[in-house]
Amino acid sequence: MLVSYNWLKDFVKLEVEPHALAEKITRTGVEIAEVKHPATGLKKLVAGHVLTCVKLEGTHLHQCMVDVGEVDPIQIVCGAPNVAADEMVIVALHGARIAGNEKIKRGKIRGMVSNGMICGLQEIGFSDSVVPMKYRDGIFIFPEGSDIQPGEDVYHALGMDDYLLDFDITPNRADTLSMEGAAYEVGAIIDQPVKVEPVSLKADGPAWTSTLTAEVDAKLAPKFYLRKVTGVKITESPLWLQTRLWNAGIRPVNNVVDVTNYVMLLTGQPMHAYDARTFKTGKLSVRLAKPDETLTLLNEKKVVLDPADIVITDGDQPVMLAGVMGGLNSEVMPDSHEVILETAVFDGTLVRKSALRHANRTEASSRFEKGINWDNTQKALDMAALLLRNEAGATILDGVLKGSDTKRKPVTVKTTFSYLNKVLGTTLTTDQVVTLFNRLKFETQVARDQLTVTVPARRWDIMIPADLVEEVGRLYGYDNLKSTQPLLAETQGGYANFELFMRHVKHFLQGQGLMEALSYSLTSKARATLFTKAVQPVAEVKMPLNSSRSVMRQNLLTGLVDAASYNFARKETELAFFEQGRTYDHADGQFNEHEHVATLYSGHVYRNNWEHDEAPVDFYFVKGQLENLFTTLGLTGIEYRAEKITGMHPTRTAGIYVQGDYVGFIGMVSHTLTQTEKPLRNSELYGYELDLEQLSHYLPTSTQAKPAPKFPAMSRDLSVLVDQAQSNQSVMAAIRQAAGNYLVKLSVIDVYQGDHLAAGKKSLAYQLTFLNENATLTDDLVNEKMAAVTTALETNLQASVR
Amino acid sequence: MDLLEKLDQLRARGLEKINAAADTQKLNDVRVELVGKKGALTEILHAMREVAPERRRQVGQLVNEVRDLFNEQLAQTRHDLAQALIAQKLEAEKIDVTLPGKRLSLGAKHPVYLILDDLEALFIGLGYQVVQGPEIETDHYCFEMMNLPKDHPARDMQETFYIDNENLLRSQTSGDQARVLEKHDFSQGPLKMVGPGKVYRRDDDDATHSHQFMQMEGLVVDRNVSMSDLKGTLEMIAKHLFGADRKTRLRPSYFPFTEPSVEMDVSCFNCDGKGCSICKETGWIEVLGAGMVHPNVLENAGIDASIYGGFAFGLGLDRFAILKYGVDDIRDFYTNDVRFLAQFRQEEK
Repeated sequence: MLVSYNWLKDFVKLEVEPHALAEKITRTGVEIAEVKHPATGLKKLVAGHVLTCVKLEGTHLHQCMVDVGEVDPIQIVCGAPNVAADEMVIVALHGARIAGNEKIKRGKIRGMVSNGMICGLQEIGFSDSVVPMKYRDGIFIFPEGSDIQPGEDVYHALGMDDYLLDFDITPNRADTLSMEGAAYEVGAIIDQPVKVEPVSLKADGPAWTSTLTAEVDAKLAPKFYLRKVTGVKITESPLWLQTRLWNAGIRPVNNVVDVTNYVMLLTGQPMHAYDARTFKTGKLSVRLAKPDETLTLLNEKKVVLDPADIVITDGDQPVMLAGVMGGLNSEVMPDSHEVILETAVFDGTLVRKSALRHANRTEASSRFEKGINWDNTQKALDMAALLLRNEAGATILDGVLKGSDTKRKPVTVKTTFSYLNKVLGTTLTTDQVVTLFNRLKFETQVARDQLTVTVPARRWDIMIPADLVEEVGRLYGYDNLKSTQPLLAETQGGYANFELFMRHVKHFLQGQGLMEALSYSLTSKARATLFTKAVQPVAEVKMPLNSSRSVMRQNLLTGLVDAASYNFARKETELAFFEQGRTYDHADGQFNEHEHVATLYSGHVYRNNWEHDEAPVDFYFVKGQLENLFTTLGLTGIEYRAEKITGMHPTRTAGIYVQGDYVGFIGMVSHTLTQTEKPLRNSELYGYELDLEQLSHYLPTSTQAKPAPKFPAMSRDLSVLVDQAQSNQSVMAAIRQAAGNYLVKLSVIDVYQGDHLAAGKKSLAYQLTFLNENATLTDDLVNEKMAAVTTALETNLQASVR
Repeated sequence: MDLLEKLDQLRARGLEKINAAADTQKLNDVRVELVGKKGALTEILHAMREVAPERRRQVGQLVNEVRDLFNEQLAQTRHDLAQALIAQKLEAEKIDVTLPGKRLSLGAKHPVYLILDDLEALFIGLGYQVVQGPEIETDHYCFEMMNLPKDHPARDMQETFYIDNENLLRSQTSGDQARVLEKHDFSQGPLKMVGPGKVYRRDDDDATHSHQFMQMEGLVVDRNVSMSDLKGTLEMIAKHLFGADRKTRLRPSYFPFTEPSVEMDVSCFNCDGKGCSICKETGWIEVLGAGMVHPNVLENAGIDASIYGGFAFGLGLDRFAILKYGVDDIRDFYTNDVRFLAQFRQEEK
């Protein structure tokens, strides 16, 4: 809410300048997002009295002589459609500055001298949304009786010399969404008395309450008060009233509507005014809408009502969407003479949902949803009636019709001074604390350490002792609190083991030259289950923002392929990404989350180099990177099995098994995927994905060191001719089994298949390294082992050893 | 010819030859010729018979002098030749050291994780445990236990991604608080934890909104934890992240799970508090929310709020990264553009 500094002075003595006050309020109560001063940047804008106004034939222009308080009137050529003689208008003189820092100079229009400009409100900085409709497409005309003379600056009359404090409230401080509420808050902050006056009203018309029956569901509207006024003359509001409205961001409409809005700004109580002809059957009801009922709102939006919308009806049809906006069918019209005024308390949650449902949040609905002061129902109603008597010549009929009138008991909160001090870390005395509550105008009762606080209805946010801590703390000043560290028994900070493991993997991969990616967990239904060996039921959100972010991923590789596509489209094709994050599923009727890690490589092993080393990233490069990771983790018993996984190349992908258990996969992203994604067409992407939880089960305990070998190792090479279908893994397994414990290292040193071999055959060459840690190996022993290997290969794998 | 004359001639000729030898092979030939077993000097010695006995001693001495001279000169020349050879080899091996190296890909930490790791290290040093909770959270832990009533706006389908009526993608890491509070045994000491992780809100992605981002929750509960302790802790976080010379201020705020609730601002790094477009002319930038744990949150977890109390804070890691690194679009953190990410390689120190 925009709170007027000048209006605030009606309630509190302000000796602090507006910006300093804003800073104080921000530190103590409510954040002031901005202090606006509408006159900023404007110059030489004065009131002018149009003496003569002649329309120039064949143009839209008028030749005007305007009295601007100087000896002679000045000539201004004006194009506005609503300029006319005898109007009091805003004149930008020669040398003036208007909105947007635009300078106005004397000039000639169609050969005629124009000594300035007659302005519309938008031209001097008003937002289009607050300019009265009749002045929206033309100049502004001061209402009759405005207290302004030709030549006088317009800023004061238009409220532009004011400072407007933008109260950016949190939901608990809706009490400051009114001038009176803001005044109580400011008074407490600057320690000044607050003058909020009651309304005393004497009706001057006959009783009316027997002419209407109001049937109100008190659950929907715990309080529902009506008053009736007659003899209303609908006009434009006086300028003082209009300026207060537009400075608060509300467009003036007519005196009746303006009064209801003004009372809302003053008291925080939203109001509504009906044309009394609406209720010609003598009935009114407050109920939930029926299915398929419709209502056209004042802003001409036609809504289909929901059975959770509260409506006010004329006994039959809805005439208002309660707490949100009136219906066009009950609107106060230029010919209205009798008006029914309503103040009510509606159920905040239902109002909020109505406003949301019909995308129609209003000043009223936002107040109902955050709560309003239950003690202001009568005051607001009387205030509005009084103002209509003053500003619209209304006669106030006798009596208030109360359709419902639920009472609330005042809240009392008990606490102790020692509790307040303990929580704040302060040593405030009883007197200090009581003084702070006095500033808030809260009643207190003190009995030694005991404190009982009676909270006025205007502060419905305060219910428990912790709320009192906040009031004391903020008024005492958070700036005055000490800055200390908790003095507690020693605790050991750190990570759980699994958290450490995940961070180790991340650091290692980063050291391996991979860049850390961060992707969205939500993806499309199709992508969520790609790259997944055992697809589980998915976790799908009910109201996704779009279908490509609707299902929680069951794999990380999808995100990295998206990242590759994004980068390829920008000609960045040398990629090495990793991501560590969770996958999500709904297996066995519960929601599960698994920590994974995935990598994706494309391009070359080396970046661009002048040595023309252009080895592309391939399966074996990526596998080597992965093997290094496994080595640093101390994992053993790893097996790679050719495997088909959706999204991966069917003959270039392996499942990874540790001690027989599946932990992930490695391979190339399938052509099917890369060919359909335009930027990735013809690219080769390699990567792997691991389930870190699974892996963590096989991590060895800490290393027990042994000395480096004292005896020399012996190496032998071996060339084996096998069927092409035979995997390296099976040959190595056979060698290991036959070679015995002295075999400490087995490496593949060559693979050949081609012209020099029989069809369907391939040649694999290995280097075997033998070591006896306790003695020097003899040639004879190694020869014996090699012979055993040869025999095993020949008999078990039908291999020929060369 | 007199033997002495011969010797003189040999000395002159020999030195000439040694100096003329172009390589070690030729030098060796000269050596054999001059001082070898059958060389010129040996020849002269053989001719000693012709010398009168009383001069033999003098001639012998001269021969030795010439031999020493030759040997010395041979060694010097051999050394010079070897040096020349090495110099030649080194010259042949010369490379242009200004050509660039051959580089493998270089890793980088993601900027949001830079912030996360930095903060974790800070808190671990202060004795906090790092705890993680589920991202698919129940309405119960995410809201009910955190004192958000059933009709609270955050519990709208419009605001939060619900999976079904009970399960949702957590919109805040606060649920971790509830889980830890339920489990903590205060007889084993105070509770100090931070809980980092991903959270989700039903916002359309734009420069300042993301449907997914990262938070870090902090919680300290014991018998004597005060708001002054909270203030000191928050100031430490702000100064750690944004610099010791930043000014800070606390303002009242509102969160359902803390009472009192505060937000902390730091003086704008851009204008140093004078007011600029980054701080919207206020001189302050909002960095975090915090407060004293709401008694309902403690009671919901079965903790006696009349004995125990404490503070909680929530840190927006994406927001910190945006502020610290001057990022103007939050989506940059999630598109994984390598040109963007590569900038942060130098940040890890």
